[in-house]
Amino acid sequence: MASRFWTQNSDSESEEEEVSDLEDDIPLGGEGGGALPSKYLQGDSDSDESDDQGPRMVRSAKDKRFDELVQTTEQMKNYMKINDWVQLQESFERLNKQLEKVNRVTESVTAPRIYIKALVMLEDFLNATLVNKDAKKKMSPSNAKSLNYMKQKLKKNNKLFEADIEKFRANPESEVEDEIDEDDEDAESADGFSDDDIVERTMNSDEEDEEQEDDGGGWTSAEKKPKEMFPKMDPGQISWEMVDKKLKEIIVARGRKGTDRAEQVEQLSYLARCAKTPAQKLEVMVHVVSAQFDVNPSLNTHMPIAVWKKCVQNVLVILDILAQYPNIKMDETSEPEAENETEKGADYEGSIHVWGNMVAFLERIDDELFKSLQCIDPHTKDYVERLRDEPLFMTLAQNVQAYVERLGDMRAAARVALRRVEHVYYKPQEVYEAMRKLSELQSRVGGAAAEIVAGEDGEEKDGEAVMKASTETKGPAPFVLTPEIVPRRPSFPSVNRKLMDQLVTLIYKHGDERTRARAMLCDIYQHAISDEFYTARDLLLMSHLQESVMNMDISTQILFNRAMAQLGLCAFRESLVTEAHNCLSELYAGGRVKELLAQGVSQSRYHEKNPEQEKLERRRQMPFHMHINLELLEAVHLITAMLLEVPNMASSVHDMKRKMISKPFRRLLDINEKQMFTGPPENVRDHVMAATRALSKGDWKKAVEVIQSMDVWRLLGQRESIMEMLQEKLQEEALRTYIFTYSPYFESLSLDQLMVMFGLPEAQVHSIVSKMMIAEELHASWDQPTRCVVTHNMEPTRLQALASQFAEKLNVLVESNEKAFDARTGGGGLEGLGRRNKEGQDYADAAGGRRGGDFGGNRSGFRNNRGGRGGRDNQAGGRGARDNQGGFNNYNRGNQGRSGYNSGYQSTRYQDAYSSAGRTPYQAGPASGINNRGVQQADAGGRMVSLSRVGSNRF
Amino acid sequence: MVDRRAEVVGRLKVLEESAAPLISFLQNPALVQELRSDQQYNLQMLQERYQIGSDQIEALYQYAKFQFECGNYSGASDYLYQYRTLCTNSERSISALWGKLACEILMQNWDVATEEVNRLKETIDSKSFASPLSQLQQRTWLMHWSLFIFFNHDNGKNGIIDLFFSERYLNAIQTNAHHLLRYLVTAVIVNKRRRNVIKELIKVIQQERYTYSDPVTEFLECLYVNYDFEGAQQKLRECEEVIVSDFFLGKQLSENGFVTIPLRDEFMENARLFIFETYCRIHQCIDIGMLSQKLNMNYDDAARWIANLIRNARLDAKIDSKMGTVVMGTQSPNIYEQIIEKTKVLGQRSYALTSNLILTSAAVTASAAQ
Repeated sequence: MASRFWTQNSDSESEEEEVSDLEDDIPLGGEGGGALPSKYLQGDSDSDESDDQGPRMVRSAKDKRFDELVQTTEQMKNYMKINDWVQLQESFERLNKQLEKVNRVTESVTAPRIYIKALVMLEDFLNATLVNKDAKKKMSPSNAKSLNYMKQKLKKNNKLFEADIEKFRANPESEVEDEIDEDDEDAESADGFSDDDIVERTMNSDEEDEEQEDDGGGWTSAEKKPKEMFPKMDPGQISWEMVDKKLKEIIVARGRKGTDRAEQVEQLSYLARCAKTPAQKLEVMVHVVSAQFDVNPSLNTHMPIAVWKKCVQNVLVILDILAQYPNIKMDETSEPEAENETEKGADYEGSIHVWGNMVAFLERIDDELFKSLQCIDPHTKDYVERLRDEPLFMTLAQNVQAYVERLGDMRAAARVALRRVEHVYYKPQEVYEAMRKLSELQSRVGGAAAEIVAGEDGEEKDGEAVMKASTETKGPAPFVLTPEIVPRRPSFPSVNRKLMDQLVTLIYKHGDERTRARAMLCDIYQHAISDEFYTARDLLLMSHLQESVMNMDISTQILFNRAMAQLGLCAFRESLVTEAHNCLSELYAGGRVKELLAQGVSQSRYHEKNPEQEKLERRRQMPFHMHINLELLEAVHLITAMLLEVPNMASSVHDMKRKMISKPFRRLLDINEKQMFTGPPENVRDHVMAATRALSKGDWKKAVEVIQSMDVWRLLGQRESIMEMLQEKLQEEALRTYIFTYSPYFESLSLDQLMVMFGLPEAQVHSIVSKMMIAEELHASWDQPTRCVVTHNMEPTRLQALASQFAEKLNVLVESNEKAFDARTGGGGLEGLGRRNKEGQDYADAAGGRRGGDFGGNRSGFRNNRGGRGGRDNQAGGRGARDNQGGFNNYNRGNQGRSGYNSGYQSTRYQDAYSSAGRTPYQAGPASGINNRGVQQADAGGRMVSLSRVGSNRF
Repeated sequence: MVDRRAEVVGRLKVLEESAAPLISFLQNPALVQELRSDQQYNLQMLQERYQIGSDQIEALYQYAKFQFECGNYSGASDYLYQYRTLCTNSERSISALWGKLACEILMQNWDVATEEVNRLKETIDSKSFASPLSQLQQRTWLMHWSLFIFFNHDNGKNGIIDLFFSERYLNAIQTNAHHLLRYLVTAVIVNKRRRNVIKELIKVIQQERYTYSDPVTEFLECLYVNYDFEGAQQKLRECEEVIVSDFFLGKQLSENGFVTIPLRDEFMENARLFIFETYCRIHQCIDIGMLSQKLNMNYDDAARWIANLIRNARLDAKIDSKMGTVVMGTQSPNIYEQIIEKTKVLGQRSYALTSNLILTSAAVTASAAQ
C-alpha cells in the first residue's frame, strides 16, 4: 500500500503539472470519509526531506502554502504556551490570510484540515483562558485587549467553520493512525477525478453542496460561505429587498483590489437561486455572467474551461428567462438603478427593463473560446476536448441570434451571425459533417441524462453535471424555476454551404461595413475551399475588398490574407496557374507568410520586436485547427511561379528589361545556383529548384518526377487529377522553354518531333506554337505542306542585343539629364524633384515600360514586378472600372448598398496594376487599361511640354 | 369570353371617360400648340384653363396602357408620347418610355424605336436610381428589347456593337445576361468594319467562359485563343445550326419563293475569312488544295478567292501555282532599323538640353552681374 502511494507520489512530483492536479484534489479528496489532508500534506512534505526520493526539491506553490500554514500553527502553539495574546492575535490574522492564499491556489473553498485544527486549538485555549479569571487579571493591558479582540474575532470566524470544527472534534485523532491508508485513498480518488471535474465543482458551490452531501454527507466546510450572507435565515424568508441590497453590495465590491473574484461568482450564483422574481433572477444572472468574465483578469490567458462552460449555461438560462417572460427587456440603455422594476413578479404584464447586452456576452464567450484554443497546445487531447465545445457555442449563438431577431435588432443579429460564420467558414464539408455528428451525439447523451433527472430537478444544468447531481437536493431550491425553453442543441443544416448562405445573407442585409466585409471574406474562403473558384473570385472582385482592406483592422486583413491563400490553392486545383500565382505571390513577396496568415511568428533579423508587439501578435494568432498548411501553400506558390517564370526566363536571355514574374522565385533560384554542390532535394524548395533545373533544359520527365515526389500532395484531395494537371502543365511549359531556348539554333523544327519529345498531342503543340507566333514571342511560321516550323531567325545576335541595350541606356541617360535640368531650373527643390521623378517614371511606364536595366534598376524592377503582377490585379482594375463607372455592383444575393465600397477608396496598392494594363488577357473594361494609359501618357506628355515651356519662358 | 369582353369594354369606357378632357384637349392641334417646353407652366395652364388636373393625366396613362393591352399600339404610342410631356412622376415617365418602345417595336417602326432606345438609354444612364440593382435591371431589359430592333434595322449591327460595347452595358452583360454575348459576337463577326473590337470581345468571352459558352463564342475562342483551326471549322458548322434556330439571328427572308437567311450567309462568309486570315498569319506556305477543303470550296474557286484577297491588298502573299501553294510574305522589323529609331531623337534632345543649359547659365551670370 505504502509503496504504491510513494511511487505515485514521486511520479507526480517529477512532473510539475501533475503535482498541481493531484494537489488540487486534496482538500476534496476527503469526501470519501473524513480524510485529513493536512496530515497528508505534512507527510508529503516530510517525505520530500526525509525519504530518499532523490535530490528533487521541486515543490509546488501549494506545498509551500501548506507549509506556511503548518508553520503558523506551530507558532501559535508556542504562543499559547507563554500565553502571549498579542502575538497570538497576529498569528491568527496571518493564518486567515494564508488560508485565503491556499484556497486560491487549490481553487477550492474548503478550509484545509490543519486550519480547522488550529481553530479548534485556539478556541479551546481561549475558553480555558476566559475561565481562568486569575490569569486574566494578571495579564498586561495590551495582552488583555488582544484577548478580548480574539474572543470576538474567533466567535465570528468559527461560525463559518462550525460544521468542520464539530467534525474535527468528533474524531480528532483519526488522522494519526489511518494516515497512510487515507493518503493512499486520497491518491486513488484523486486519480479518479479529472482536473475539469474538480474545478467545475469548486466553481459552483450549489452543486458542490449536493455532491458532498450525497457523497456521504460528512464533509461540509467553508463553502457554506455564501449562506453567511443571510445568516441564520431560512432561504425562504429572504425578501426581494434583501437580495437587491446584497446584490448591490457585491457589485460595489466588484473590481476592488481585495475582492476574490471566484468568491464573488459563488455569492452571485447563490443570490440567483434566492432571487424572488424572474426579472431579478435575470438581473442577478447577468451579473453572474459578468463576474465569471472577471474571473480571468488577464488579456493573454484564457478563462478556465469549466468557468467557460458554466458561463455558457448561465447565458442559456438568461435566454430561458427572456424567452419565458417576453415582457422583460434587456438593453444597455436602461438605468440599472432607476427603479425597482425587478420587484414586479412573474405575473406582471408591463415591460420590465434589465440592464445587459446579450451580444456582448456572446462575443466575449467566443473570444474566450478562441483564446483558449490559441493557448492550448494543439497536439494534446485537451485541444480536441476543447474543440468539442464548439457545438455548444454554436447552440448559444443560435439562440442568441434567435432572441435578437425576435427583438428586431437586426444589426446585433448580424453580429451574432458573423460569429457563427466565423466558426463555420473554414470547415470543409467533411469537417462540418463531423461537427454536426458530434453535436447530435452530444445532445443525445445530454438528452438522455436530462430525462433521468427531469422529474426531480427543474434546474438548469448541463448534461454532465446533471448526471452527477444527486437525487435529493438539499441546497436551497431556486425560487424562480426556469424551464428549458431555448433548444439546447444546435440545429445544423446538412450542408455547410446552406448555413453559410443563410447567415451571410442576413449579414449582407443588416450588418455594418466591417461585419459585411468579414462575412464576405468568410464567404470567399468557404467558396474557395469548396472548389468554386469563379464564384469566390467574383465575390472578391465585386466587393472591392482588395482595395479597401488596407483600411481595415488587422484581424480582417489576416482574414483577407487567408481568403487569398485559399483562393490561390483553389485556383491551383482548378489548374489556373496564372491566377493561383497572382493570388499567392503577394503573400510571399515579403517573406512573412507566417505573420500574414497569423500562423506563427517569424523571426526578423532586421528589427527587434518589443514585447508589446510580440504580445499583440500572439493575440492575433489563429488556432491550430484553422491553419492553412504552409508547406502546401509554399509548394503551390513555387510551382506556379516556376511554370510562369521558366519560359519567361528562357525567352529573355538577352534583354534585361523583361519583367520578372516572381521575385522570390528568382531569388531562390539564384541562391540555389550559387551552391557548389546540390544534394538530393529535401524540402519543398529543393524539390521545386530541382524541377526548375530540369524544366529549363526541357526535360519535363524529370521535372514531373521530382514534383510528384513531394509529400505535401497527400494533403490534397483529388491527388490523381492534380498530378495529371501538373504533368500536362509541365509538358507545355517545357515545350515553350525548349522552343525559346533552342529555336535560334534551328532552321526548322518538325511538328512530329516536337510531339514525340514532349508527349503532347498534335493539336496542343500546334496551338502552343501558334500562340507563340501570334504573340511574336517566336519569330517563325508554319510550313503547312511539310508540317514543320520554319524559324526566321530574328533573334538578334549578341552584338545586336547589346547595341539595343546600349541605345536604351542612352535614352535613360538623356531622360535623367532632362530631369536634372528641370529640377534645377523648375524650382521646387528636392520635393519637386521627387515628384517629377515619379511622374517621369509614370511617363516611362506609359510609354511602354522602357527603362534601363541597371539605372534605377532596383526601383524599376520593383515597379515592374508589381505592375506585372498581372491577371488578377489588372482584372480587378478592369472590373473595378466597370463597377465604379457603372455606379453599381450587384451580387445577386441582393446585397445592395455595397456600392459604398467603391467610392472614395484610393488604393495605393493597386495603382500600379491600373497603370500597367493591357498586358493581360483579363482587361475587362476598355476604359480601364487602354484609356488609362492614354490619359496618363497625354497627361505626362503635357507636363513635359509645359515644363520645357517654363524653362524657355524664363529667359 | 363574353363576360370578359363586357368587362374589358366596361373598363375601356371608364378609362375613356376619365381621360376624355385631356384627350379632347390633345386632339386639338391648336391647343397643343399652346403647350410650351416648361412643364410647370403647362400643368398650371391646363389646370386653370381646362380643369385638367393630375387625375386626368394619370387617367391618360391608364388609358394608354389599356389601349396597349388591347392591341391598339399606335394609339397607345401617341398617348404615351403626350403623357410624357405632362408627366411629373419620374417613375411613371420611365414606364411611359418603356411603353412607347414596346409600341414601336410591335408596330415595327424600327427607326422610331431606335430613337426610343436612345432616349431610354439616356434616361437610365442619367437617372440616379435608388438602387444600383434596379439600374442594372433596367439596362439589361433595354438590351434585350433592343435586340428586336438591331436585328431588323439596317444599321442595327453597328448599333448593337455601340450599345453593348459601351462600358456599362458590357458590365451588365457580364454580370447579368451572359447569353447576350452570342448576339454581340455575331454582330462583330458580321460587321467588317468593326474588327478592332474583336480583341476586347475575346477577353470578355474568356472571362465569362465559365458561366456561358455557345458555339458562336466558342468559335472565336478556338480561332483566337487556341488557334485550333479544326475546332474552329467544327464550331462553325455548329454555329450554322445555332443561327438558323435562333429567333433573332435566323430571321428568314423569302424572295421569289426562295427562303434565305441573310445573316447566316453573311456570318459564314466572314467567319471563313477570319479563319483564313489567322491561318495565313502563322503560316509561311499553305497548300491550296488543303485550303480549299477547309474553306468548303473547290480548288479553282479557292485560288480565285485568294487571288482576290491579294489583289485587294488584304494579304501579303503570292501564289505558287506550280507547287499549288500560297507563299506568305514575311515582314519583320529589322534590328538596325529599330536601333536607329531608338537613337534618332536622342541627339535632338541632348542638343535642346545643352542649349537650355547655356541659356540658363547666361541668365544666371547676367543676373549676377546686375
